[in-house]
Amino acid sequence: MLRFGQFVITRFFLAIVTLLTVSFIVFTLMEMVPANCAERYLSYKSFQGGQISAEDIAAEERRLGLDKPYVIRWASWVGNVFFKGDFGDSCILRVSINQLLGQKFLISLGLCLTALILAYSIAIPAGIMSASSSNPYLNNSIRFVSYLGLAMPNFLLALMIMLLSTVLFGDSLTGLFSKEFRDAAWSWARVRDFMSRAWLPVFILGWSATAFALQTVRALMADENGKLYVTAARARGLSGRQLLMRYPARHALAPIINSLGFDLNRVFNELPIVALILVLTESGALLIEALARSNDQQLAGAIIFLLTASIVTLNFITDILLALIDPRIWKSIMGGG
Amino acid sequence: MTLKKLGLLPLAGLALVMLQAGTATEALAAPCPAITVASDQGIAGAYPQQFELAEFEKLANCTLTFSENPSIGKLNGMIVGNTSLPPLAERLPDEPLVVAPYDSIGKYGGVFDMISNNTEAGTSDLLSVRHVNLVRFSDDLTTIVPNIAKGWEWNDDFTQLTFFLRKGHKWSDGAPFTADDIVFWYHSLNMDKNIFEKPKSFMLAGGKPWKVEALDPQTVRFTTEVPYPGLLSHFASHYAQAFQPKHFLGQFHPDINPDADKVAKAAGFESGYEMLLFYYGSSDWTDVPSPMLRDPSKLPKLPANIQPSLESFITVSDTTEGRHYVANPYFFMVDTAGNQLPYIDEQDEVYINENEVRILKAINGEFDYKYQSLTLPDAPILMDNQEKGGYTIELIPPISSSVIGINVTSADEEKRKVFSNIKFRQAMTLAMNRDEINEVAYYGLGKPVQYTGFSPVPEFVDPKWENYLIKYDPAQAKSLLDEIGVVDKDGDGFRDLLNGSKLVVNIQYATQGIPGTVVELIAQHWNDVGIKTIFKEVTPDEYRSAQSANELDVMMWTTSQPLAIHLGNNDLFLPPFNTYFSMTNGLLWKQYIDSNGENGLKPPQFVNDLKDGINELQAAVAGTPESNAAVNKLVSNMAENLLFFGIILAPGPVYHRNALKNFPTFKTASYEFYRTYPYRGPQWYLDE
Repeated sequence: MLRFGQFVITRFFLAIVTLLTVSFIVFTLMEMVPANCAERYLSYKSFQGGQISAEDIAAEERRLGLDKPYVIRWASWVGNVFFKGDFGDSCILRVSINQLLGQKFLISLGLCLTALILAYSIAIPAGIMSASSSNPYLNNSIRFVSYLGLAMPNFLLALMIMLLSTVLFGDSLTGLFSKEFRDAAWSWARVRDFMSRAWLPVFILGWSATAFALQTVRALMADENGKLYVTAARARGLSGRQLLMRYPARHALAPIINSLGFDLNRVFNELPIVALILVLTESGALLIEALARSNDQQLAGAIIFLLTASIVTLNFITDILLALIDPRIWKSIMGGG
Repeated sequence: MTLKKLGLLPLAGLALVMLQAGTATEALAAPCPAITVASDQGIAGAYPQQFELAEFEKLANCTLTFSENPSIGKLNGMIVGNTSLPPLAERLPDEPLVVAPYDSIGKYGGVFDMISNNTEAGTSDLLSVRHVNLVRFSDDLTTIVPNIAKGWEWNDDFTQLTFFLRKGHKWSDGAPFTADDIVFWYHSLNMDKNIFEKPKSFMLAGGKPWKVEALDPQTVRFTTEVPYPGLLSHFASHYAQAFQPKHFLGQFHPDINPDADKVAKAAGFESGYEMLLFYYGSSDWTDVPSPMLRDPSKLPKLPANIQPSLESFITVSDTTEGRHYVANPYFFMVDTAGNQLPYIDEQDEVYINENEVRILKAINGEFDYKYQSLTLPDAPILMDNQEKGGYTIELIPPISSSVIGINVTSADEEKRKVFSNIKFRQAMTLAMNRDEINEVAYYGLGKPVQYTGFSPVPEFVDPKWENYLIKYDPAQAKSLLDEIGVVDKDGDGFRDLLNGSKLVVNIQYATQGIPGTVVELIAQHWNDVGIKTIFKEVTPDEYRSAQSANELDVMMWTTSQPLAIHLGNNDLFLPPFNTYFSMTNGLLWKQYIDSNGENGLKPPQFVNDLKDGINELQAAVAGTPESNAAVNKLVSNMAENLLFFGIILAPGPVYHRNALKNFPTFKTASYEFYRTYPYRGPQWYLDE
């Protein structure tokens, strides 16, 4: 049991190191891009028509503390995050990031997790069916839908649905809330309004996630299906669903649980583009803004930090769960017997 | 969707207005004629399209009675910090501004839907709808007319400008607006080092601060050390409104209120300055985040959600998704029928930063007006759907257009020898086939022009300069290049540098400054006369950093300004001939001037002439022979020396829904006169 404790602590420590490393990489990469946040902010203003000089930029840099070396900026940022839970101010939006991200990150996470749940609740039964059935029509149609999901970019799907809805219903289906509820406090009506709009991003993200999961489940199942223990089980007289569920499916699904964190990351990566197209006001769209448009290190750092933290937490939990179920896992890492 | 929601309000409003108009007619012997711009009944005042109350009543021999928006009480209730409303007569100034609507007296009500890119991006065409300042450019874009100020007066040498304010004018919270608010804005905010580390250059004259003093509550005087006749047009065209509420922001300013820090601490701030900046945002832009966006958790302890304003609409909600506004119940304008403006109840702004989505929403008629961020390539699809979407697209010329320049002080000495030769630049502009560029990139809707620094080029200027060396003439270009010894020495089909090594003109461009197709065509044209030209698209940031490091052969961006702006701004005529965010040329000349001749390159005589020219222009009164002579000098000098080549002046689409009334055709679709400000947003109304 002591060893298991050690295993948990090691995992936890590694998770923190991963978080620190990721945030440092984000800061470093953004440092390499020409122009910083002060310049981007003033460039917004200049594009509006204001006359701005190089001295104005230098003054803005001093005001924002951008004249300090980035390692120092990163260190103080990380220090505040870990010790005070304070992400600081977004340099371009000039508001507190904690305020800004508050529920936005939860909405993003919710969208991604719902899309994942949707994906697996379709992919697992469909994948098992497809791998074990010999009906060519069923197989081919599942394959067709899933290849379509893999091959069609999400943004294209989003634009097509929006175009269709614009032509047919005169509503472009954008946003997460309708106008009445945009600024309202959470209430049952607001939740319903949110649901009536959130299905679209969940559907779009879910389709490609389903396609991906379907292919994985199908391949894993096909692998297991031919193995000797399945043949042996069949020889003992098992058949149909009983055989599938108790033998190949159980083995095929373990790697899928293990890759949940990875899947979450993949879905989250697709979220920003979909969010931009659908004008969703959640953190994926903010991430693109911060990374590509405004070079807002603090904001991008905060979103990526939160995302990494979610993935690392998810991995940590699945690791521990799997280790509890199957002691071979932690023993193989920590050594001993 | 909007239709359904707005259906009821205007009807109720109309009924009330009619009722009030009915009783007014019976009570008064001489009701005022509700004149409009379209039908002015021969009544013309000192300024186009608007009157002072006394002036209007005298001209029309009548007494104007006032009426208000029936929902104004409800709207006022949405402004957190406002108390209940006094009667209209106490809210209007004693001397309200009487506005003649363009086509008809409007109806109260409705929500004006709009989109921008982000809290502080792509917003100025919306900000300008509700904008006010001391004065305004009329829609002829030459006459300056009263706005917040009812009049002004210059001294003889243009060092003192005195404004007269309206008695009884009130901030949106009902507190009196006086000359002290202007002094406060200038001296306590813009000149306070705790707020602006360094004053903005447009807040200075000849590098020195102005002196702003309140002579009495309704009289304020601006004094500059050097003559500055452009100061008036500055206030007419600039985004910075020349006043801030001293009674409100002053509470947190330690120079105004000794207890400022105490007040701030009670509201949860470290210091008075911190609380002041929480409202003011260190900027005179009116789209900086308000306390509602900055930190909503602080709101319960604040006296108001946003500082009071004089604008036609007041922000009542501010989130990362958008903003919402309601009509200012204390707004100082009435129409010629005595109805307090604005007509529209509310404004709603949503942030959309994707062009495809913007276009989709436009086609659906999901917003009422836009032109910033709409570009000519979007025009065909927008125009195709006009009828279905219930909107109108007008193609309106801009002021600045894409311009390209050859680096005359290139860091590469061999290239510099060629680029700084005027004959090389003449050859390069002659080699450009502008008609082809117009057809291919601008659907033939634009007009080929040469760069003169002025746009529009004033009527008194000889039109030859706008057309200087823009006629496509590759033969002449080739012979000019032969003449200066830029010939093909190694037989590879392309001309070489004077020392025989290869000449490659390398264009880096950002699509924010110039369309890619235009660059492709220009490169092709230059290759055709034997100048090897290659091009590469970069981000605006990369472009700027390369430009300011003097690493470019060719500079490009959109530029040009109207005469009115040059009166108060000399950027386009002094090296590097524009600002950091635009295109520059002659960086080494600037270095020479800045270092008093120690570094850089000595500028040629024409650069000194440009400097003299702009100084003469700014010291003269616009419209006088001296001023016109200075303009002529600048135009011919700029055109002849070809620091920049003009390309095509092409129109941009202006979008408005057909339900939006009293919406005139814009003269230009541009920033320079502060966007929509000349076209009088407060008298627009929705007729659904």
